[in-house]
Amino acid sequence: MERQDAPWKVVRAFRGPEGSALVHLNNVSGGVLAGDRLRLDIGVEAGASAQITTTGATRLYRHRPGSADSEQATNICVAEGGVLEYLPDAAIPYATSRHAQRTTIRLSDGAALFWWEVIAAGRLAAGERFAFDRLAIHSAIYAEERPVVRDDFVLDPAARNPGALARMGPYSYLATLYAIRAGRPAALWRELETKLSDLASHRTRQGEAVWGASALASDGIVVRGLCTSGRFVYNPLIEFWRMARRSVTGTDAVPPRKTY
Amino acid sequence: MLAQCDHGNAMSMDSIALLRLLHLADSALAIGGAAHSFGLETLAEEALLAPQTLEEFLRVHLQESARLEAVYVGLAWKGRDPRTLSEELSARKPARESREASVKLGRRFAELVNGILQQPLLESDLHYCVAFGTAGAALAIPLDSVVLAYLNQSIVGLISACQRLMPLGQSSANTILWNIKPAILETCSASCSEEMACFSPCLELASMRHPLLETRLFIS
Repeated sequence: MERQDAPWKVVRAFRGPEGSALVHLNNVSGGVLAGDRLRLDIGVEAGASAQITTTGATRLYRHRPGSADSEQATNICVAEGGVLEYLPDAAIPYATSRHAQRTTIRLSDGAALFWWEVIAAGRLAAGERFAFDRLAIHSAIYAEERPVVRDDFVLDPAARNPGALARMGPYSYLATLYAIRAGRPAALWRELETKLSDLASHRTRQGEAVWGASALASDGIVVRGLCTSGRFVYNPLIEFWRMARRSVTGTDAVPPRKTY
Repeated sequence: MLAQCDHGNAMSMDSIALLRLLHLADSALAIGGAAHSFGLETLAEEALLAPQTLEEFLRVHLQESARLEAVYVGLAWKGRDPRTLSEELSARKPARESREASVKLGRRFAELVNGILQQPLLESDLHYCVAFGTAGAALAIPLDSVVLAYLNQSIVGLISACQRLMPLGQSSANTILWNIKPAILETCSASCSEEMACFSPCLELASMRHPLLETRLFIS
């Protein structure tokens, strides 16, 4: 830990299996407020291994008139042979919230990344589904200099219905898991795609959750899921992560001790 | 888009450009487009897409995936490096089958154009939209026309696929294609901003799950 400023707080790292570090990120303000500018920089040194998670969902609070949109920028570098599992809890945009999130991840040769992201349609229990004003997500993953993932979208529910069939349809949670290891051959990813797709098929229940997996253009694989409830998200997500981790690193995933 | 046509001795360049564009954007162009549904087969198989919801689906598709491709048509037309554009677009297409289909069509389009022109104008293994934009610029076809033609042939292809997937007759298919023209124009205009944004998880998932369908009419 080089630096931490409120509202971010990192309690000391816990030692994980095989010398890895387990780190919990905590936003002591409880969530992201209008006008917040948050920045998270993560570096994993050569050969090191870290698992980073959060202590709870990221609540994107309602926008205050006159305030700027909230922003979070996350920059991650994983050096040669390093392993990072970045497993934050879901982001929940409250009604009228306006938020932009930018994540940039750079992997050196042989570096591995397991990153999941869960975005909720809102506080469903409070009757809020796509009640936020604006949510912009910009994600980029590079393996050495190669662009492996570019995912950019802006949700503006008043202008374009996120619940349209070509977008999220009847589902309210979007889950994504990336498993990437820079420099691994395409054959590895096609084999893993077959296994993950088979698992996805078994975990798909129309009207509850739909899952799919695909090899990326290079260096990795993606699992995507759409779920009607948060109850259907994490158990399958952990299964996908376990399978991917075992295939990519030869070692088992150790889920953080929390209730999903 | 109608060009002046002089029935005298010489045809205007605008007319030649129009004829070439009509040729390259013909839905019957022999590049294998009819073999791909880009995930629509999965949606149809699961009864999520039906004739009565198709037009609205295509309107949303135009705002998302189609608009992103239109941006890349434009960037290619403007002279950005096609190989770099294709690599970047591959990173934006997570579903393998749809991504590979796009590159396959691009490869066949390049072979066809290079063969017609008897010169290696287009590199191989470019995404179709990138190859199309590059060809349009090389043939001195105006940008807007190239983007509109690309979008129109893309929608024609999807509607044609749906005619094989669901009870969608010729009359209904043509009505949808006719009605959606303003949305195509809107997408062309929106693509001028070069904003790289696309939100289409349902369609992406449908493409990811396509290999698992028990019986398939389409490669993607």
